[in-house]
Amino acid sequence: MRTIRLAAAAAAAALTLTACGSSGAEPPAAESAPETRVFKADNGEIKIPGAPKRVVATGYAVPALLEADAPLVGISTWKRGIPLMTDEDRKSYEELPKIAGEAAAETNYEAIAQAEPDLIVIGVPKPVLADIDVKRLEAIAPVVAIGPSVPSAWRELSRNQADAAGALKRFDAVRDEYKAKAAEVAKKYADVLPKLELGHVGAYGEVAKGNFQREFNGSWGTNVAQDAGANYYGKVKVKGGGAKDVSEYPSIEELTAAFAEADAISYSVGPDGKPSAGVQYVLDSPLWKELPAVKAGKAFPLRYTEAATYQSAMKALASVDEAFAPLLKK
Amino acid sequence: MTGRRVALLSGALVLLVVVAVVGVGIGAHHVPVVEVVRALLDHNGSPDHVVVRDVRAPRALLAVGAGAALAVAGVLIQVLMRNPLAEPGVLGVTAGAGFAITAGSALGLAASPAGELGAAVAGAVIATLLVYSVGRRSPLRLVLTGVALTAVLSGLSLGLRLLLPDVFDRYRFWSVGSLAGREQAPNTVPLLVIAVAVACALLLARQLDAVELGETVAQTLGVNVHRVRLAALVLITVLSGAATAIAGPILFVGLMVPHLARRFAGSSVPWLTAFAAVLGPVLLLVADIGSRVLLPTGEVPVAIVTAFLGGPVLIWAVRRHGAVAAA
Repeated sequence: MRTIRLAAAAAAAALTLTACGSSGAEPPAAESAPETRVFKADNGEIKIPGAPKRVVATGYAVPALLEADAPLVGISTWKRGIPLMTDEDRKSYEELPKIAGEAAAETNYEAIAQAEPDLIVIGVPKPVLADIDVKRLEAIAPVVAIGPSVPSAWRELSRNQADAAGALKRFDAVRDEYKAKAAEVAKKYADVLPKLELGHVGAYGEVAKGNFQREFNGSWGTNVAQDAGANYYGKVKVKGGGAKDVSEYPSIEELTAAFAEADAISYSVGPDGKPSAGVQYVLDSPLWKELPAVKAGKAFPLRYTEAATYQSAMKALASVDEAFAPLLKK
Repeated sequence: MTGRRVALLSGALVLLVVVAVVGVGIGAHHVPVVEVVRALLDHNGSPDHVVVRDVRAPRALLAVGAGAALAVAGVLIQVLMRNPLAEPGVLGVTAGAGFAITAGSALGLAASPAGELGAAVAGAVIATLLVYSVGRRSPLRLVLTGVALTAVLSGLSLGLRLLLPDVFDRYRFWSVGSLAGREQAPNTVPLLVIAVAVACALLLARQLDAVELGETVAQTLGVNVHRVRLAALVLITVLSGAATAIAGPILFVGLMVPHLARRFAGSSVPWLTAFAAVLGPVLLLVADIGSRVLLPTGEVPVAIVTAFLGGPVLIWAVRRHGAVAAA
């Protein structure tokens, strides 16, 4: 049954592509958009509709395309992003059919076929792409894989996703709004933040291994604060690829060595302001309490550090503004 | 014979002290030996001293407590079941603790280290009570009930974890038996409970010596077999429950240490218990040191080291048991 449905979907997709490729056979998708175009993605150069009408998104593409008002017909679940969504996006998120779970391996190919997309945007890291049967998806619709690399690259990544889905107009409007707000905050802290050597404790330390996550410039916890003028000194001892190029996991014993030089330290907390177990482990450590920055009262919680879209980054920016406010007091 | 055992036990105690000191001296952050000693004897609050006294020393103490508890529980269950391949987990203690952590996390009751500890202890006790109430008539029934309950609780835990990703995350951290990152948990009460339970096990060991000879012989010697079994069962639950609560599930210690101890103690249960109470901590401290230095990329949880050591020991035990049975 599934094979028949997929075959039917493949045939439908092939017909759609043929129609797009032939001039005059169908009315143009949009007045100014070409019928098809070649898009460069992680999985190669892919021929996609010029103005997609039915888009399926997974992974990091979900919040990006929700924000960009792309014509979504199916999405994967993206629970980690729910607290960062606007009410409108959250409503759309809840209403849209779910065609995959949180993990790439939970992709429901039949549900995707039933959604009858004309474009599938996969937003997972390259190594995770191996968990998805891309050929099976290509039988349904053109597939573009646009996955994250280093955390701070969400800016380009989300724009590429919006571009593929033909939703740049709304995307660029939100981006410009973010940039304007970031410039405002940076101006506000211009006399303070750039002069400080900052350290950051990330949310993903592993208590069972007795370590903590230290994040440097370009990481999840730091990249939005950087837009406000913050500078997180140092770099990883050994680059591990992706997020591990900009963050590392030293033993709790090395907490003093990691942050002894820091003028101020920020740390990730959840949207509700509560630290994760990994962060709480650091905050409860006697070594933390002895750090110069902590003793000086310059330890600041940052919310929404997992922001990967401009809309959510505005929340993160507001949190940065709120957290660093004590630094402005003379 | 007794003189040799005393000498060997004294040697094992010295070894325990040496390994504990080495354990406190080794870590990711280099602390000179002189500072390690100063930190223990003349603490001045410097970062080096804090590392030694507040991170490493509690960790070594946990290794001593958990190692002694698991090893002595292993001796008790092997004697009680008259089965050299038995270990505390067969009574459903570990599965009970794991299920309680999972259910507690789902209900928001095990969100803190103290909550986790309480849930693990409660789960271990309830599981043992269930197993005992169903299988109390014979050791075989006890084991079968324990295995059945373990299967049921593991299935229920797995179902909850698959339904609730947050619970899965919390369980994932707990389920990796580890001594790292547990130094901040409220461990004083479980460690005191372990100390008392080990002392009780030493007191009970003489009567268990008689039980190991067979029920009839034990009764002839004036031992109340049912009472001794019940007491042993309570001690196994308390010891393995407390160890699991403070360090998560650490497999094989309860299995392999009694076999190691038997080489020095012979068939005497009191000596076996005494040796296990010393060798268990030695083994866990050595495994913990190994967990810190084996990989250049960082720590591996101690349960992985003990499992790595435990596999070959289990094969050795099976072969040895087979050889004895064949003879």
